[in-house]
Amino acid sequence: MAIAATVGEHHDEQSFIRRYIFSTDHKIIGIQFLFTSLVFLLVGGVMALLIRWQLAYPGQAVPGGDPVSPKFYNSLVTMHGTVMVFFAVMPLLVGVYSNYLIPLKLGAPDMAFPRLNMLSFWIFVSAGIVAMASLWVEGGAAGAGWTAYPPLSGAPRYSGVSLGQQMWIISVLLFGASSLLGSVNYITTVINMRAPGMTLFRMPLSIWSLFITAILALLAVPVLAAAVIMLLFDQTLGTTFFLPADGGQPLLWQHLFWFFGHPEVYILILPAMGIVSDIIANGSRKPVFGYHSMVYAIITIAFLGWIVWGHHMFQSGMNPLLGTTFMISTMAIAIPSAIKVFNWLGTIWRGNIRFHTPMLFAVGFVALFTVGGLSGIFMASSSVDIFIHDTYFIVAHIHYVLFGGSLMAAFAAIYFWFPKMFGKMMNEKWGAIHFLLTFISYNLAFFPMHLLGMGGHMRRIADPTMYEFLQPLQPLNRFITISVFLLFVAQLPFVVNLFWSLFRGKKAPLNPWDDNGLEWTVPSPAPHGNFAVTPTVYRGPYEFSNPLVEEDYWPQNAPPNGREGKAATIGAES
Amino acid sequence: MSQSTNEAVVMTGGVSAEPGMRVYNQKLGMWVFLASEVMFFTGLIGAYIILRFGTDAWALPGIPLEEGGTPLAIQLTALNTFLLICSSVTMVKAFAAIEHGDQKGLRLFLVLTVLLGATFVGVQVFEYIQLAHEGFLPRCAEELAAVVPNCNLFGSTFYTMTGFHGTHVSIGVLCLIWVTVKAFRGAYSRENHGGVEVVGLYWHFVDLVWIILFTIVYLI
Amino acid sequence: MSSTEDSPMTSAETKKPNYYLIWFLLFVLTMVEVGLAYVSALPRNFLILILLALALWKATLVAMYYMHLKYERLRLILVATAPIPLAIILVLGILLEYAQ
Repeated sequence: MAIAATVGEHHDEQSFIRRYIFSTDHKIIGIQFLFTSLVFLLVGGVMALLIRWQLAYPGQAVPGGDPVSPKFYNSLVTMHGTVMVFFAVMPLLVGVYSNYLIPLKLGAPDMAFPRLNMLSFWIFVSAGIVAMASLWVEGGAAGAGWTAYPPLSGAPRYSGVSLGQQMWIISVLLFGASSLLGSVNYITTVINMRAPGMTLFRMPLSIWSLFITAILALLAVPVLAAAVIMLLFDQTLGTTFFLPADGGQPLLWQHLFWFFGHPEVYILILPAMGIVSDIIANGSRKPVFGYHSMVYAIITIAFLGWIVWGHHMFQSGMNPLLGTTFMISTMAIAIPSAIKVFNWLGTIWRGNIRFHTPMLFAVGFVALFTVGGLSGIFMASSSVDIFIHDTYFIVAHIHYVLFGGSLMAAFAAIYFWFPKMFGKMMNEKWGAIHFLLTFISYNLAFFPMHLLGMGGHMRRIADPTMYEFLQPLQPLNRFITISVFLLFVAQLPFVVNLFWSLFRGKKAPLNPWDDNGLEWTVPSPAPHGNFAVTPTVYRGPYEFSNPLVEEDYWPQNAPPNGREGKAATIGAES
Repeated sequence: MSQSTNEAVVMTGGVSAEPGMRVYNQKLGMWVFLASEVMFFTGLIGAYIILRFGTDAWALPGIPLEEGGTPLAIQLTALNTFLLICSSVTMVKAFAAIEHGDQKGLRLFLVLTVLLGATFVGVQVFEYIQLAHEGFLPRCAEELAAVVPNCNLFGSTFYTMTGFHGTHVSIGVLCLIWVTVKAFRGAYSRENHGGVEVVGLYWHFVDLVWIILFTIVYLI
Repeated sequence: MSSTEDSPMTSAETKKPNYYLIWFLLFVLTMVEVGLAYVSALPRNFLILILLALALWKATLVAMYYMHLKYERLRLILVATAPIPLAIILVLGILLEYAQ
């Protein structure tokens, strides 16, 4: 079957709307996801500021407004989590980079199903609109946590929220539909549309991770959909899935939710890991250490990720025997993650390091993700979890892996692929400043949360000073709040840099980072249709500092120079 | 859209992709989508199994309603199940027909499939109305709840599972109508009939789910 | 646009099952199922096991012959069957809640 998209084809005659609004071009869709998710990142960030304000100064009016009421606080923590997970991080990593990178890095002209791709984006937008609209309805936005446990979430008489909780469900369903369409596209494209010579084991790790992530999303999101539908019916049709009065089981919700929820967190981190692998290899001018083991680690993490969900439920009253099996599998899943960390270190070791901004963020990712992973080991033990479950220790862990992990990788990706997306370079100096300010204020904000948690500070409480034993911890809470405000302000250089460079940035060359990926062989910005002729791939993606070539990089599609032997290229498929 | 299963996708400049799955994009995409649908029904059906497992009594077939037996119409639904299976046969016969370039066979069997599928939905709607009259709803009427054990749980799970299945069937019927119209316009040929195959896969899947549902909801 | 190579017809195109035979099998199995459901003499667990087995048999027939899986490459079979172990893990894992 022919996909007749050649470079500079009849699409030039398309209207502005067909080209940039209702575009079927994967690159435009990726950019649409980029700006949309950055907006939601801002929204989630503002919610975080309000949460931190209330925690540091309970009951005090927000400057220029009212005090945060306990009910609004519940909505804030709920919507902060929901917005950040579904509308900021997931689209930023998966929506943007699956869309933008997969066809380009594989040598394809576009996705397998471009129109479904466009549909996926606009359904995502509608999901976001429903979620945001819920903030203004009577009863307020959902307030049962992003995990929406019944009975609290199942009936308005418990949460005080009615329409808002239902809109939350609708927006999750819409998001699920968008995610599903995306997954079908990504999986089909990776399997069926690789350029000749691009065998699976010559794919960059960014693509491997996005591919495995798509499979996780494909199989996990429908379970969430089923669960929230049943919750919606409990709320509106009088069914009894989760409400105990007529035989429903609240614990069933937790199992269903976390059966989705755990693969979900790997959906949030695997793309970050893949992207970071690409960037660290580039920044170190060395192949990724242990490319094959990196692939197997990704696959192992994905496999094991299906059988650890109970570790979110250790304190739920679940069967302790079941808890033990989950503890074992959870401890096991640390191993492939650790393998990856050591491989990143091995990649950097004795490299000819270029400290460009993406590299700074990528290395920062490794450091912060490691901290997050280490705290995870504490939580994996069901007996230790008795003391730290639902405390700020967990909040610290979440944010180290989600912000210190996923978001740092997202920043790295934005700086790295900005030139290819927009044809301009971002300012390096301000990039470094953004990194430094973010790294410092981030740790000042979130590391103390480990201490709060060990001190017994619970999650999701609006006024810690209500509890006498927490009052001595208030200075820490205030310190954290101030650091979070600094962290928020530290993003200003990034925003200014982004928009300024869009219009006034230096013109980007074809391959500003001297990288090997196929996307760097086409003009910046990449043209519609991507490749004038589908390239042929001759080697793996990480041929940096190969002695057979003069430059310290060797693009995947550069024709062989006759000096390669059987074992010459590292990373070639077996 | 080609059906040759050993052909790689052709990309820019007439260059073929790496062989990949050796199945054309739309067919691979449909199978990938069906994998997600399995998980969706697993969520619903799994919830039903677990909730029912936690009960100590359930309305069984073969026992009169007044004695706490099932309110469901087993024989009617058994016939309906048979109709759906028939529609799978006509669907695969339609596909077999166009594989040989038989336009008449394609059209005939597609029309039969649409009719059978629509009948299935009709019978289901009819059953829903009957059940609603008896008071069997997602939240049962009080008189029924007094007789049928765990009536609310039964109603909740019954309507959710069969309702979503019925929705999938209805969407399938709409897609089938569209494919049938295209067939009558001569859109398909021996070389180009992927649309028939892909909608067929979806249709068989919907039949497959019903085979499971009928057994565990009506018979067990 | 079409195949660039002159390839022999694959097994997917040559082998064709007898669709009517499968239809008859499905019909018989359905009748057996409905009949068994009314036989109250059977011990309950045994009945559930048999009915489930019959349902799975029918489902497998549809998947293998009508959806053509029997004649497809292993890779596609893997795509189609990948969710099954997950489904089993989900249901069994939660059912273990009740195992004391």
